[in-house]
Amino acid sequence: MAVHKRSYRAYIGPVTPQRTRWWVITRYSLAGAFSSRVSVVLFVICLVPSLLAAVTIYVANSETARTLLELRNANNILAIDNRFFLRLMAVQGWLALFLTAWVGPLMVSPDLTNNALPLFLSRPISRAEYVAAKIAVLSIILSSVTWVPLLLLFLIQAQLSITPWLGPNLFIAGAVIVGSFLWIALLSLVALAISAYVRWRIVATGLMVAVIFIPAGFGAVVNAVLRTKWGMLLNVPYTLSLIWADLFRYPLPFQMVPVSAAWFSLLAVAAISLILLHKQVQARQVVRG
Amino acid sequence: MRNVPNIELDGLEVRLGNRTILNGLRGSLQGQAIGLLGPNGSGKSTLINTLLGFHAPSKGTARVFDLDICLQSRAIRSAVGYMPENDAFIANMSGIAFVRYMAELAGLPPDQAMERAHEAFFYVGLGEARYRKIGTYSLGMKQLAKLAQSIAHGPKLLILDEPTNGLDPLARNRMIQLIREIRDAGETCLLISSHLLRDVDETCDEVLILKEGRVAGICNLEQERRTNRKFLELETIGAGPEFTAAMHDLGCECANFPNGRMKIVMPESVEIRDLYTVAARQGVQIRRMNHRRDSLEDIFLNAMDMPQAVGASNGRS
Repeated sequence: MAVHKRSYRAYIGPVTPQRTRWWVITRYSLAGAFSSRVSVVLFVICLVPSLLAAVTIYVANSETARTLLELRNANNILAIDNRFFLRLMAVQGWLALFLTAWVGPLMVSPDLTNNALPLFLSRPISRAEYVAAKIAVLSIILSSVTWVPLLLLFLIQAQLSITPWLGPNLFIAGAVIVGSFLWIALLSLVALAISAYVRWRIVATGLMVAVIFIPAGFGAVVNAVLRTKWGMLLNVPYTLSLIWADLFRYPLPFQMVPVSAAWFSLLAVAAISLILLHKQVQARQVVRG
Repeated sequence: MRNVPNIELDGLEVRLGNRTILNGLRGSLQGQAIGLLGPNGSGKSTLINTLLGFHAPSKGTARVFDLDICLQSRAIRSAVGYMPENDAFIANMSGIAFVRYMAELAGLPPDQAMERAHEAFFYVGLGEARYRKIGTYSLGMKQLAKLAQSIAHGPKLLILDEPTNGLDPLARNRMIQLIREIRDAGETCLLISSHLLRDVDETCDEVLILKEGRVAGICNLEQERRTNRKFLELETIGAGPEFTAAMHDLGCECANFPNGRMKIVMPESVEIRDLYTVAARQGVQIRRMNHRRDSLEDIFLNAMDMPQAVGASNGRS
């Protein structure tokens, strides 16, 4: 099949290991996600708070910098503790939502719109690997704006602090990792499920934000009508802040439901998204004329 | 050493919901290019999807190159190139990027995949359009791009589902020519599903005919063609008992009809020029000579008339 001969010949060269084939999908999807300038701009914006936090950590640990900025008596403002990391995590987390809302719709729908899925799955790739590859794309993007910069900041603080800081605050690193993984898993699965069902990007982007915020209103109605507090479980921002506060050992704000119930509600949303995604991929692997 | 069939159906049954789509298919297909024929709803696409592992058999199994579709689906898919019937592409990708992507998924390293993608595009005749987005291709170009992605990784089995669907006559001829070239290269086995008997007749050497989810016939077209070549219908002037006797002496079976018409079955050792030699010696004029043409259409229509699953004209089932 050489170009100059224009004749068919079989391929007899080396092949890649089967266990790494899913990475091809991840690689191409990552390239597709960042082919848009808006995605790149959003990604950079997501890193801005971490950069500002790095500056804050430097100032907090540098006597000279504080003197120059006339912040010698601002110890409360510049305290690098669990509260600092919780607030930074909240900012990064919500920026990650908007990044996902923009990038997520590009994950599955282009493969479904023109029936490319049978081509993927007629190769040595399983449905589970296909879904895992797509989850990996969002996980990589979201990790790079959530737990990765936060852990780097944690290590910078541990390095710069003149008092023993790492040991007593090690739980912050755990909270960053667990809290981020939960949020990334939730965002990835919801985004992929929406991408599998909604073809139009703008609608999918709006729906992504709506899925996170609209149930909160519904939960408030449930609370008012049934005179209960369990409706708060439909409020994703509330349940998430509850879990994060618990992980960061920060006093829980307006605790109306147990933390375990909050975990359950978010994991349920993730599980429902995964089931919907799996059903759609299974249904679309065969194109019916 | 056992001669392993390319595709072997072993009581294959597939149910989708409450409907039995494939009902106990049995058969052994050895051909280099296998045609899959049958009316709408006969189970052609379901059979292809089952071989690719998209549907799990409810009973029985099938083997591709002696690999079980239930147990070794991944190994089968490693050896297969698939061109689906419907549009199948990623619209916002260039043709070359799309084919490279598919080749990498099939296991080619990135640099090899890129090289093969270029080769495949030139091979199918889309070399000049390879950097255009596939969404902008015409229907015929999309069909060729689908063929390119199915051959770029050099599969052992190429499954083509209605490859000439929607093509104009020129594009169809081009597609048929490409399929023949791939077949004649001898390195790839083809499974071609088509409604068009002519396409199958021109490209395949064996056909599997399905009817209502059952095997209506398996026919070795190559053998059928060879057999047809040995059946002759003659119109002669001056052929008498001597000519008939001379035919018998050559080893032919001969039947005479009024007005000098004859039907002759020639043994393998006899060539047509032997008939002309005898005729010239006896002063017999051969005014017309026809090979029997038991066309694929006849075979297909006979299979459709069969009340139930039967072996084909070559006796296999």
